[in-house]
Amino acid sequence: MASQLGPETAPTAGRTAEYWAFQVDGVTKRFGALAANDNITLRVEPGEVYGLLGPNGAGKSTLVKQAIGLMMPTSGRIMLGSFDLVADPDAARQLCSYLPQAPMPIEAFKAREAIELAGRIRGGDRHEVRARTEDLIEALDLGEWRNALGAKLSGGVKRLVGFCMAAVRPGRLVILDEPTNDVDPLRRRLLWEQIRDLGAMGCSVLLVTHNVLEAEKSVDRLAVLFGGRIVAEGTPSSLKAADRSHLRLHIMLAPGTETPPLPVWAAAPTRVGHNLITTIAEDEAAAGIEWAKTLIDQGVAEEYALGATTLEDAYIRLTSHLSEDVDEEGPTK
Amino acid sequence: MTAVPSSIVRHGLRRSWHDYASMLRWHLASLRIWMALVAIVQVLSGVGLVLGIALFFRRIPASAALYVSTGVPVINLVMIGLILGPQLVANEKTAGSYDYLRAMPVSRSVNAAAWYTVCLVNGVPAMVVSLGVASLRYSLALHVTAMLVPAVLLTALSATMLGYAIAHAISNAMVTAMVAQVLVFVVFGFSPILFPITQMPRWLGTLNWWFPFRHMAVVTRAALTPGPHPGLTTSYAVLGAWSVLCAALAGRALGRRL
Repeated sequence: MASQLGPETAPTAGRTAEYWAFQVDGVTKRFGALAANDNITLRVEPGEVYGLLGPNGAGKSTLVKQAIGLMMPTSGRIMLGSFDLVADPDAARQLCSYLPQAPMPIEAFKAREAIELAGRIRGGDRHEVRARTEDLIEALDLGEWRNALGAKLSGGVKRLVGFCMAAVRPGRLVILDEPTNDVDPLRRRLLWEQIRDLGAMGCSVLLVTHNVLEAEKSVDRLAVLFGGRIVAEGTPSSLKAADRSHLRLHIMLAPGTETPPLPVWAAAPTRVGHNLITTIAEDEAAAGIEWAKTLIDQGVAEEYALGATTLEDAYIRLTSHLSEDVDEEGPTK
Repeated sequence: MTAVPSSIVRHGLRRSWHDYASMLRWHLASLRIWMALVAIVQVLSGVGLVLGIALFFRRIPASAALYVSTGVPVINLVMIGLILGPQLVANEKTAGSYDYLRAMPVSRSVNAAAWYTVCLVNGVPAMVVSLGVASLRYSLALHVTAMLVPAVLLTALSATMLGYAIAHAISNAMVTAMVAQVLVFVVFGFSPILFPITQMPRWLGTLNWWFPFRHMAVVTRAALTPGPHPGLTTSYAVLGAWSVLCAALAGRALGRRL
């Protein structure tokens, strides 16, 4: 790719797809006695959308802040292609695009202007940036807010503009921290298409989320972080393998009730708030429904749902947490 | 169109110029909804000082009028540097957007240079208005020399870099705002900008020698009044040293990785 701007440091060994892999090798980050990241090793290939899942405090944001040069690992290496991102934070900032979880500082910017300026700051050519900005605005159906000030945008639209700022001139690694927060369902779908497109362009995409259900449909591989460690890694299918031939039984308990004793055929349950979730063998479906109805009749439960197991069940098993979409809403029959 | 991921790590002068121009646009756009208000407050505070201090006297002595007239422009530049930068950064820290700004792919020094330019753009017009009003109010015949250019540039640079260092080196937003306010209090009450250093206790005058504010007044006043101006070279040197020190502190703080 031709340089637009002065001398550059470019890899000399050729830019094969494998060359630009993002590699985290034995990274530990300690704050005093607390290990926010504990010996984390992972690799994201170019073109891959890699999910980083975990509950709040699992160490996801700490890890990405080390990749982008905002934090220094206590030990370990972070590489992007041949670039050591820990030793060269300037290269980290230039080669990685970043959408942080916090709101973007675009109150005084028009949406289109913020995206274009972000692209220019990332070294993009003026005409290319302008064309790409228009493409993104169209693709995410943001046309009606093109010239609106950031201060007047809703949280979801602002989030999408933030995504465009990261994607207008993407780095080799694109880090998206909770990109779908506050975004309406229709545009969430459009956003996922754009995230997949980043992969198709050859970017490695590191997607931080605690929305397991969305991640299941959208990532190629994922790691589940819990307590600063990777407790599982693989494709969504491989992580669900342990739950094959099982169903998920989700019971919304009545407020103020104790967790009822579970039948022997139910797996160890997870309770978060009023949600009680367990898995049962497909053969036990009828018994499961009967048991749930009994709980409702006794006033212990208010409703229940029985369905196919999802990545959520693997996530619950690994972290004892529900993903954000289930926490508040409870089950859907 | 299909975008291609950026595979370039840019260096050199062309990168610096590109980053400077981009960040200048960024800072100016960030401030656009406040720019008019900042300009009005700057002009009002400058003119207010020029006119208000005369009320301390039944008839203001010529020497006091000259000190006020040549000191208020310094106050204008100091206020912009010490208040605007720390306040904006404190807001960004509170809102959580500070990480995004720190992750921008621009060099720290060039970002600081762009911010300095913004402070000049905001501070100089108010400074000129204050000077004009002072000349009219006190019928002064100021002796403006070309040295006003380096004096203003260096005064604004040291004030901006001091504010920039406070903004970035102090991690807590509330403490940042408080330190900036204390410094403003020091500038108004205990720095020989609007009055001669001879009116201060000896120990306070000596203390002021080490701080930049007195030297800002010395270089600016020297460019507006006939000489001689003893210690002028020293004042330029002290201001230069403060500018370099604060820029280095700010750069170090911005690049700090926890």
